[in-house]
Amino acid sequence: VRDAAAFDHAVAEAEHARPPRSTGRLRRSERRAGMLFVVPAVVLYATLLALPILQTFYYSLTRWNGIDATFIGLGNYERLFTDPTFWRVVANNVVLLAAIPLAILIPLAVAFLLNEHVYGWRFFRSSYFLPTAISWVVIGIVAVRFFAQRGILNSLLSTLGIPLQTDMLASEWTAMLAVAITFIWSVFGTNTIIFITGMATLDRDVYEAARVDGAGGFATFRYITIPLLMRFIQFAFILTLITGFTALFSLIFVMTRGGPGFGTTTLEFYVYQTAFAQGQFGYAAAVGVVLFVIVFGISIIQLRLFRDRSD
Amino acid sequence: MALAGRRLKRLAIFAVLCVVVVVMLFPFAYMILTSFRSYDQFLAGSGFSLDSWQGLSDTLPVVQQLINSAIVTISAVALILFTSTTAGFAFAKLRFPVAPLLFVGILAGMMIPVQSIIIPEFVNIANVGLINQYPGPILVYAALGIPFGTYLMTTYFRGVPTELMEASLMDGASYRQIFTGVMLPLAIPAIVTVAVLQFIQIWGDLLIGLLFLNQPDVRTITVGLATLQSSRIVPVPMIMAGSILSALPAVIVYLFFQRQLIAGLTMGMGK
Repeated sequence: VRDAAAFDHAVAEAEHARPPRSTGRLRRSERRAGMLFVVPAVVLYATLLALPILQTFYYSLTRWNGIDATFIGLGNYERLFTDPTFWRVVANNVVLLAAIPLAILIPLAVAFLLNEHVYGWRFFRSSYFLPTAISWVVIGIVAVRFFAQRGILNSLLSTLGIPLQTDMLASEWTAMLAVAITFIWSVFGTNTIIFITGMATLDRDVYEAARVDGAGGFATFRYITIPLLMRFIQFAFILTLITGFTALFSLIFVMTRGGPGFGTTTLEFYVYQTAFAQGQFGYAAAVGVVLFVIVFGISIIQLRLFRDRSD
Repeated sequence: MALAGRRLKRLAIFAVLCVVVVVMLFPFAYMILTSFRSYDQFLAGSGFSLDSWQGLSDTLPVVQQLINSAIVTISAVALILFTSTTAGFAFAKLRFPVAPLLFVGILAGMMIPVQSIIIPEFVNIANVGLINQYPGPILVYAALGIPFGTYLMTTYFRGVPTELMEASLMDGASYRQIFTGVMLPLAIPAIVTVAVLQFIQIWGDLLIGLLFLNQPDVRTITVGLATLQSSRIVPVPMIMAGSILSALPAVIVYLFFQRQLIAGLTMGMGK
């Protein structure tokens, strides 16, 4: 995995100017070429990413309906942090956070089994990864059919003779649980692939030695595989975390529209709701800033982690 | 005895992996089976019919929306490839003022969640009159793809020996000629990786399409499908037919380029 550690590395390299190698005329033409070649990327980046993030910060300090903005200082933030709905939304993000250990451990265990290379393992690997190619919208559509009152889960339960009928999407916490389960299912393939890639880098001899020493399957997994895979586990953890905070809009839109009530509204969905359903653009911008700070913070921690390891 | 135990263990592993396959592939089987039933057959739980597929084209302008998706996705991917290969080449091989600063700035863009910029983005795009016009979402998707694309291309070009470029310079080639004649052909594996990752991501995106293309005839298939679903009056089998149709292009891309997709993922980002 070349991961975000590479970011660090790349930055370090970019800072070391290479020694001069050519005459003034060539040097000038190199400089001009360099600047010309980055113009398209820089123009798009500046107008469509850098500018809007700055605008989000500015507008979060205003009352704004999309046309006229009135500066109100930290008013939106004061309102936000005393708003019970905001804290309800944060609690939903915490539920997703709580799902992450499962979203890591299940793929880790399956990758460990897959690494035994039993008959058909290539087919298994491809099948596990296939859902990565389909959109959250399609995943959400099937998930609704799965959890619905007259859906797959209930018919499965009655087929198995279990006297229990569910209607998970109908009440707040069970709906959030349904979203979290779908989330775990969706990131399974990606995380499994990350761990398989990691395991492929491990030295076979270590396992041989462990076997000779009489270590069983679980001991090997716990004391050898996991510690050696720590980099990959961290990477999968961060990726899953960021996915949970920023990539579930479509899933929630299709499955529950954030409801019932605010039962499945996460921060990213709350931005959409307050801005485009309620027209409170300034307030929504403040939520956007909170989300940005969280994601940026996670990314910085990630860079730190990888820097510590690469030194 | 030890051999028998080993066999048993491998059989058990095989069985567990089979169960996981069922869990992962079940939605695909469900979509396909359900789509080939009429609504009555769906309720009854058996039968075969093409009703839902026929009904789909009457309910949703599927062909038009597939074309919309193709236009938006392919244009955005092309724009990402153009900007990230040129910028990647410059950052990796050319010395020019403020390059390190620009590079770090662009890479930091990977840490910006789309929801944090979506409000001003929407207002800006509306102000220049690009709502419900293809260039609106195309430009936004392209900008969102630039940080990762540029990062990946820069890393790749750093691995290309600088001697190759210097030799061409000696022969009097311009930087543009070196870029198109020497560098691009060498970078094809990285280009394919960026293209595949971005294609799948943009094809399946909802938020940008939902906001920037809000008329049914310009919508992408993913957005059309999501609005169809949330209307809650469309029969389930028809929605499944729509789901298959919308998923198919990305699944085909996946089947052809699985290796590049995995390579891109393990290079740091992805879905």
